[in-house]
Amino acid sequence: MANTRDIRIRIKGVKNTRQITRAMQMVATSKMKKAQESAKSGRAYAMLLADIIGTIADEFEEITQSYFIKRPVKHRGILVISTDKGLCGGLNANLFRELSQIDNSAKFVSIGKRASQYISRTRRDLLADFSLPDKPTFADIRKIVEFLLRNYDDGNIDTIEVVYTSFINTLRQEPELIRLFPLNDLDSMVEKLHSRFNSDSKPFPKDNREILIENKDDVLADLAVLYLKQEIFQLILESQASEHSARMVAMKSATDNAGTLIDDLSLQYNRARQAAITQEILEISAASFSQ
Amino acid sequence: MSLFLEIVTPDSIAFAKEIKSVVLPTANGRIHILPHHIPIIDRVVPGYVKVSLQGEDDYFSINRGFVEVYGEKVSIITDGASKAKEEDEAAIEEAISKAQTALAEAKNSNFDQAKVDQLEAAARFEMAKKIARNKSR
Repeated sequence: MANTRDIRIRIKGVKNTRQITRAMQMVATSKMKKAQESAKSGRAYAMLLADIIGTIADEFEEITQSYFIKRPVKHRGILVISTDKGLCGGLNANLFRELSQIDNSAKFVSIGKRASQYISRTRRDLLADFSLPDKPTFADIRKIVEFLLRNYDDGNIDTIEVVYTSFINTLRQEPELIRLFPLNDLDSMVEKLHSRFNSDSKPFPKDNREILIENKDDVLADLAVLYLKQEIFQLILESQASEHSARMVAMKSATDNAGTLIDDLSLQYNRARQAAITQEILEISAASFSQ
Repeated sequence: MSLFLEIVTPDSIAFAKEIKSVVLPTANGRIHILPHHIPIIDRVVPGYVKVSLQGEDDYFSINRGFVEVYGEKVSIITDGASKAKEEDEAAIEEAISKAQTALAEAKNSNFDQAKVDQLEAAARFEMAKKIARNKSR
C-alpha cells in the first residue's frame, strides 16, 4: 500500500485540477449564455433578409446576376468554423470527421487555430486562416467575407460553403455543412432558414403586381453580399454558442470525475493511515511485552 | 386600409407597427409610401425616416440598408436605426465630430475604399440623427 504522504500529495493535486475545471465550467456557462443571447438577437434581421430574398425568388424566374447562377464546380470553397482552444469535448473532432468526407479538390478557409492545424496536417489546400475575438462584431467578419467573395469573383472557388457546429441544445451540438453561394435554389434556402430558426411567422399576403427594382443587378448583388455576410456572422455566433456549451459539459464531467477520484483517494488515504496506526500500536505493545 | 412598417437592425427590431404612411431616403431619392404602393425593392441610404401615425409623426434616423415594399408591408433592413426622441443632443454632436475625424483619417491614410464607405455611412447616419431630432421637436 502506498504511503500516506504520496496519497496526500495526489489528493492535493487532484483538488487543484478540480478547482481549475470548475472555474472553466463557470466561465463557459456565462459565455454560453451571452453567445446564445447574441445568436438570438440577430434572428429577426436574418428572417427579414431571407424573406426579401424569398420575394425575389418568387418573382424572378430568370435572374442574370452572377451570384444567383450556378456554374460548373471545379473547386468547392469551404469555410470551416472551429475553435481556438481545446478542452471542449469532441466538438472539433466531430467537425473534422465532416471535413474528411470532402474530396481533395476543395479549397479551405479556416476560422480558429484547430481547423487550420487540421487542414494543413491533412495536406489540403488552405487559402487563408482567420482568428476572431471572443465577441465578434459585424465589422470583424467583413474581411473574411471580402476574402471569400474576391476568390469567388476570380473563379478561384466555385461555391461558398460553411462547415460549422450547429447548436441543438446544451447537450447536443452537431457539425453541419451549408451552401451559401451560389444562390441558385432560393426556395429551399428560405425554407431551410425558417426551419433552422423554428419560426412560425406566416407569410404576408402576396402582391400580384410586378416588383420594381432600379439597377436590378446592383441591388441584387448587394442583397446577396449582405445575405452572405449576415449568414456567416450568424453561423459564427452559433458555433460559439456550441463551443461554450460543449466546453461547459466537458468541464462539468471533468469536475465530477475529479470529485470521484478525490473520494477514492481519501478512502485509500484513511486506510493507509489506519494501517500505519495499527502497525505502530502493534509495535509498541510487542515492545512492552518483551520487556 | 393601413400599412405595416417594420425597421429591423442586426441588434433589434427598432419599429413594428401599423402606420398611415412613411417617407424614406432611397438611393434614388426620398420616396413617400402610402397604402397600395407598387411593390419595390431598393437600397436605403443613411438619412431620416418620417413615419406618420394616427395624428402624429415620428422620426427615425437609419443607416444604409434595403427597403422592401410588398403587399401593404414596408420592411426596412438596416445596419442601424434610432428613434429621434430618444437621442441626446450633446451625444449626437460628439458622435458627429468623432465620425468626421475618423472619416478624414481614413481618407488620408491607407486607401481602403470599403472602410471609407463604411465610415462615410456612419458619419451620414450621425448627421441624420441630428436632422431627425430637430424635425421631431
